[in-house]
Amino acid sequence: MKFEPYQTAEIPGPLKAIPIERPQTVAGIIRNAKRPIVIIGSKIFDVAPERTIRDIIEISREVGAEIVVTGGINRKFEELGVKEFRSMPAMELADRLRDPGWKGFDGKGNYDLAIFVGFRYYYAWLILSGLKHFSPDGFRTLSIEPYYQPHATFSLYNMKIDAWADYISSIKESLKRG
Amino acid sequence: MTLKIGELKTDVATFRNLEIVLGRVEEEWEEPLGPTPMPSITSLRKWDYKLLSRYKPFYLPFCDLCCLCTFGKCDLTKDKKGACGIKMDAQQSRIVLLACCIGAATHTGHAREIVEFLIERFGRDYPLDLGDQVALEAPNIRLVTGIKPRTIGDLEEVLDYVEEQIAHLLASTHTGQEGNNLDFESKVFHAGMLDHVAMEVADIAQIAAFNFPKGDPEAPLAQLGLGVVDLSKPVILVIGHNVIPSVYIVDYLNETGLKDEVEVCGLCCTAHDITRYSDRAKIIGPISWELRFIRTGVPDVIVVDEQCIRTDVLDEAMKINAPLIAASEKACRGLPDRSNDPVEEIVEDLVSGRQKGVLILDMDKIGEVAAKVAIRLAPKRKKFKALPSVEEIVEEAKKCRNCGFCQKACPNSLPIPEAMARAKEGDLSKLADLYDYCIACGRCESACPSGINIITMMVKSSERRIKNEIFNVRVGRGPIQDTEIRDVGRSIVLGEIPGIIAFVGCANYADGGHELVEMAEEFLKRKYIVVVSGCAAMTIGMYKNEEGKTLYELYPGNFDAGCLVNVGSCVSNSHISGAAIKIANIFAKRPLRANYMEIADYILNRVGAVGIAWGAMSQKAAAIASGFWRLGVPVIVGPHGAKYRRMLLGRKERKEDWYVYDARTGKKVYVGPVPEHLFYAAETKEEAMVMAAKLCMRANDTTKGRAIKLTHYIDLYKKFYGKMPDDIHLFVRRLADIPITMKDEILAELKKKGWKETEIPDPTLIEELVRVKEE
Ligand code: SF4
Ligand code: SF4
Ligand code: SF4
Repeated sequence: MKFEPYQTAEIPGPLKAIPIERPQTVAGIIRNAKRPIVIIGSKIFDVAPERTIRDIIEISREVGAEIVVTGGINRKFEELGVKEFRSMPAMELADRLRDPGWKGFDGKGNYDLAIFVGFRYYYAWLILSGLKHFSPDGFRTLSIEPYYQPHATFSLYNMKIDAWADYISSIKESLKRG
Repeated sequence: MTLKIGELKTDVATFRNLEIVLGRVEEEWEEPLGPTPMPSITSLRKWDYKLLSRYKPFYLPFCDLCCLCTFGKCDLTKDKKGACGIKMDAQQSRIVLLACCIGAATHTGHAREIVEFLIERFGRDYPLDLGDQVALEAPNIRLVTGIKPRTIGDLEEVLDYVEEQIAHLLASTHTGQEGNNLDFESKVFHAGMLDHVAMEVADIAQIAAFNFPKGDPEAPLAQLGLGVVDLSKPVILVIGHNVIPSVYIVDYLNETGLKDEVEVCGLCCTAHDITRYSDRAKIIGPISWELRFIRTGVPDVIVVDEQCIRTDVLDEAMKINAPLIAASEKACRGLPDRSNDPVEEIVEDLVSGRQKGVLILDMDKIGEVAAKVAIRLAPKRKKFKALPSVEEIVEEAKKCRNCGFCQKACPNSLPIPEAMARAKEGDLSKLADLYDYCIACGRCESACPSGINIITMMVKSSERRIKNEIFNVRVGRGPIQDTEIRDVGRSIVLGEIPGIIAFVGCANYADGGHELVEMAEEFLKRKYIVVVSGCAAMTIGMYKNEEGKTLYELYPGNFDAGCLVNVGSCVSNSHISGAAIKIANIFAKRPLRANYMEIADYILNRVGAVGIAWGAMSQKAAAIASGFWRLGVPVIVGPHGAKYRRMLLGRKERKEDWYVYDARTGKKVYVGPVPEHLFYAAETKEEAMVMAAKLCMRANDTTKGRAIKLTHYIDLYKKFYGKMPDDIHLFVRRLADIPITMKDEILAELKKKGWKETEIPDPTLIEELVRVKEE
């Protein structure tokens, strides 16, 4: 069950996400990306405890990743004291991520690792599928949601929220240790 | 060809002034035939390609495979090809086309049945009279086919055309036929266009024949909700989309003096349409109320016609001991055909329980059977009309093993196990909390290894509230009047009315139906014209303000700024596209007859209309949306709408995508990303509202109109995002476009972006419409 799609009937394949059991491995994937981007969906406040949201922000900062929030949750983000973030509807962003010619938010070119968290399961599932099939070579996606997202390149697995919060925290620690 | 014979004597009769029409319907219509009468599947390809070069498909595949023929399954991951050579993009568009063909075929089948039935009852010459205020009765039909239908019989040829085209479209999805995704997409648009024609056929025929409201802004209010049924009376529940069986039920009750003795209530579009026919009929709710209402045990007999009805409705009816009458050839549900049996025998078999359900295709019998069965069964069914007791619910909850299968199966991932844990302790409040977010699909029950009746438990937990579910909805008024178009056309085209927002589609809401109400209210307050239909129109009626009023009681039903127009059922969506077409024709005097491209180009560049199908679920909804796309009307869907697996997205920063011809000079002019997308699945209602306001901007807006539209866009953006949008510079063409109240802020923003003034052309994407060529 751990590495099965979370929602019933969302049967993927043949190409399925590589499940990652160890937070240190996730930290390695993030650290090795040249231009990571962290995409935070509108459900983040429903799923994640505040400490996890803060951890995700710290992870982004640690590797200099652009943070994009989607679905209009900007105000809540600002309430957390986060000022440095972009916002764009998720579909628009995904449409750009698949385009090798897109210049990115900073004009320096497209990203090579898109990290997704805080989305409705099926909504992210479909976007990840779009990116799996139609993105340029070298572009990868990483789902750090508390469940297995089979269309990502890399995914965490189905877990309880407490365990997930610890997992995210370990990614952060691992990145900080360098 | 028409043969006119002054007098014809035969052995049996004398015919005077006989007119025999051979072949194509010849009508007295002065307007010359336009360039594309009855377009083939490629006639409008050029237009489609123009749209698709701006709004590029982004595919979101459900799976990596194709399994449509025995060459497969084929793995189409990334660049892989199937055994037939097809690639993933084409395969996805092929599936979209299949969905749209299903949708268009469904409306066409529905329309064909209505037309045939009405011809049999009223004759081919029955006039299509939509009232004094609706002279332009069939904008979609006239635009697409070039036919101006005068009688119900004239609609047959329209349907002949549509059916033939759908056959061609379906054929193009066969293995080894179409292979290019853009050509599939062009065919998707074609299916959508046909769909609107078919819907229009169905609705204008039924409006004329059954005397539904004819564009009446003051159409009466009807009762809506689970609490509206008078439980002391026998109850007939009608479900589906084809109103004919329900009309016969109402007629029978009227003719036999039983109209006050029996309740007739409906679910889904049949409910809309029966309230357009009878002032006594009541609406229970949209499709997602089906299981809920049946589980209350209230219906004594259930009559189903066609489309979007649960296919297990017989099982559900059996659970509450209510017989089922199926009334459509398209959905026989395994039931014995009793169409030719005497009424009394059928009634006896159903009342005695010898038969749980029957198929009756003779409409004359349906009314009588349904009424008699309901009347005889109602006293016997009293014990079924109660939900389980609280104690029983608590016992049921104790069967829960906390396995979580229900939550995994739930499309909205609702926390059912948590609610069960509380219910075990006797606290039903968590179960009741789920009610607003549950679409009553039943997937949770199907997954539950303990066989727990989760929906029944939710309904019981919300019982008090359900009893108070009594709302008012305005009855579907049908078309928009020609005079209304004359009155508001200018304000819409110049942009002074900020837009037309159409809330349409099914009830597959990701976060509850109240979101739809919030959105509708926001746009009503901002003086947009809000048009609604189908399940969305019901949902919008399901919430009251503090004074106990629904939006229908707060906002008038005219097609005007700040008004709420319920056009009616699914097939009434054709009046929404029809209104856009009428603006181009009646207000702007653009030729209508068989002149699709020019009218669509007009709408795309001038008519700020946007559809929001927040809970779109069905293939019909897909077809309806694609009909809007081809006409240049963008559609926003809710999160579940991403499962239509293809978006049509513009890229605002790609300047080269946003040029039009200036029809006055032939010069190519940059107009900015208006409208930015054609099809887009929003993640939240906030995102959808901001996007809808933005998508109302059109190239032709006057500076005053653009300023008004920008005001709403910026204001909504600030309200939800807490700051200025960062793309204003793309929508300001002249300084005069800037809303005065926001001048300083916007100027600062424009300066940052190095903004320069641009021209406001007489915009068109069609080179042939340029009046003076550039030297
Ligand atoms: S239609 Fe083409 S891709 Fe699909 S199964 Fe057949 S050969 Fe394979
Ligand atoms: S019936 Fe309601 S709770 Fe059950 S799966 Fe469907 S939406 Fe979820
Ligand atoms: S599926 Fe049934 S048994 Fe399992 S948690 Fe849900 S309600 Fe309980």
